[in-house]
Amino acid sequence: MIKDIPIIAEQAQQPRRTNPLAHVFDELMNFARSRSLFMLHYCTGCGAIELPPAMTSRFDMERLGIQPMVTPRQADILLVTGYVSIKTLKRIILTYEQMGSPKHVIGICSCTVNGGMYWQSYATAKKLDEYLPVDLYIAGCMPRPEAVISGLQKLIDNIKHGKSDNWKDYYQRYDHYLGNQQHLFGNNWQTPTDVIGEAREYGLFGPQTLGQHTELLESVQKPLQPLEMKL
Amino acid sequence: MDALHILIELTLMPLVAFVVGLFMVLMMRRIAARIQRRVGPPLLQPLYDILKLYGKQTQISHGILHDIGIIMAVGGYIAAETMLPVPGMNGIADKAGLITLAYVLMVPSLGLALGVGQCANPNGSIGISRALTAMLAYDIPFVIVIFGVAWQAGSNNLVDIIALQQVDGIASWGIVQTPLLAFAGLFALHAILGKHPFEIYIAPAEIATGPMVEMGGKYLGGLFVMQCFQLYTAGVIYTSLFLGGGENWLTFLVKSFAVVAVPICIAYLFPRFRTEDVVRLVWKWPVMLGLIGIAFVMN
Ligand code: SF4
Repeated sequence: MIKDIPIIAEQAQQPRRTNPLAHVFDELMNFARSRSLFMLHYCTGCGAIELPPAMTSRFDMERLGIQPMVTPRQADILLVTGYVSIKTLKRIILTYEQMGSPKHVIGICSCTVNGGMYWQSYATAKKLDEYLPVDLYIAGCMPRPEAVISGLQKLIDNIKHGKSDNWKDYYQRYDHYLGNQQHLFGNNWQTPTDVIGEAREYGLFGPQTLGQHTELLESVQKPLQPLEMKL
Repeated sequence: MDALHILIELTLMPLVAFVVGLFMVLMMRRIAARIQRRVGPPLLQPLYDILKLYGKQTQISHGILHDIGIIMAVGGYIAAETMLPVPGMNGIADKAGLITLAYVLMVPSLGLALGVGQCANPNGSIGISRALTAMLAYDIPFVIVIFGVAWQAGSNNLVDIIALQQVDGIASWGIVQTPLLAFAGLFALHAILGKHPFEIYIAPAEIATGPMVEMGGKYLGGLFVMQCFQLYTAGVIYTSLFLGGGENWLTFLVKSFAVVAVPICIAYLFPRFRTEDVVRLVWKWPVMLGLIGIAFVMN
């Protein structure tokens, strides 16, 4: 059972832009952003097997400006390709929080939509969008490379028209996402990234960034320690 | 030459280098795509990538040295571009010799080492230690080649070297006069570009792109800009040393693109060497050929 948290659709305050060319500039940036997507494929589950053909000679993603990258810092899209076990989900959230915004999450495979054939499994997270702001789902068990490419084209369209802003949702409703994460991982759950601090820094603070779950987080949060060096 | 004139040249030369470099990056990616039987990226893809990276809304800095490192990496190349003569513009090339150029070309690697050091990512540290080892490897044949060419021309000034090669056409080109040095230079150039099989410090599948591992947003954007400059610099240095520079813009561009295309066409056919193998290989063949070449030049 997932806790029900009422959603209040309220946007954070955007600073007013006075430059008359700001609009043109935004359009240009959106276009460049849509034509250049670096993806990080988090290969969970079986869906990952459809990505190599989509990337290489047969379907060639580079035509669309999409190329694979290897670290979260460099990436724009996080592809989650298949069922997410609870242990994996922790890693996915760590990875997601390290990416630079604007960032997009794509759930490939039915298992990320609703648990798919793992619906009755105790160890699998069912709906990915309860833990991360998913921009796009590509359903199928597993989707063919054509479906993956057409899904990515849909994402490109959305970005071009400025409609793919779900990453802001993670900052604005952090309490909601954190609540679901805590429900799954226990009350001691914390990540190294300071999401609340980032929201403050970049003016992405929403009415639901803070709440009872972030209070719980603050009460259990331990400061980060450097890892011990062991050989 | 008055101050204004030189100021205009100093601004224009890096800009030209950047634009030409963008197309060189495009050529590199297209060649890779064709070898792998793909279509490859569209015309303005390198530009989109850089715009996108600079347009990221959250930037993750790891401290002041991280910022300075990227500035050094790009700035070192910008300084190098002003010392590389292009048709019609000499910049400060007649005041700065080849030795200054070789020094300035080391700045980017050192800057990157500073910046990556502060990121404190183990993959980054491994990457940068490999990058510096590779630098140690390719700088020796590079210096031997530069020395040989300077001895042959009796000057270490790129403007003189180019003028000397343009006296009577192809017969006076460095590649005809000193073929061994030219071959050693091409070998060193391949290692300088850091493409396969010398790609030890990027190695995406092994150390997650090494020095670039913690770079996102404008930091990675800076490195993409640096890559444009790197390809341009490599192409133009080789053209000036061995292919008689450019009589006009057309021959200049054709020669520099051709020079860059050679190592890239070879690169995508090979897997990667290990670090010690790179050092062994580069210290053996190009150094040997370069030394024999110098012996021919000096007698
Ligand atoms: S949807 Fe099917 S193919 Fe995809 S991860 Fe689930 S079981 Fe595997």
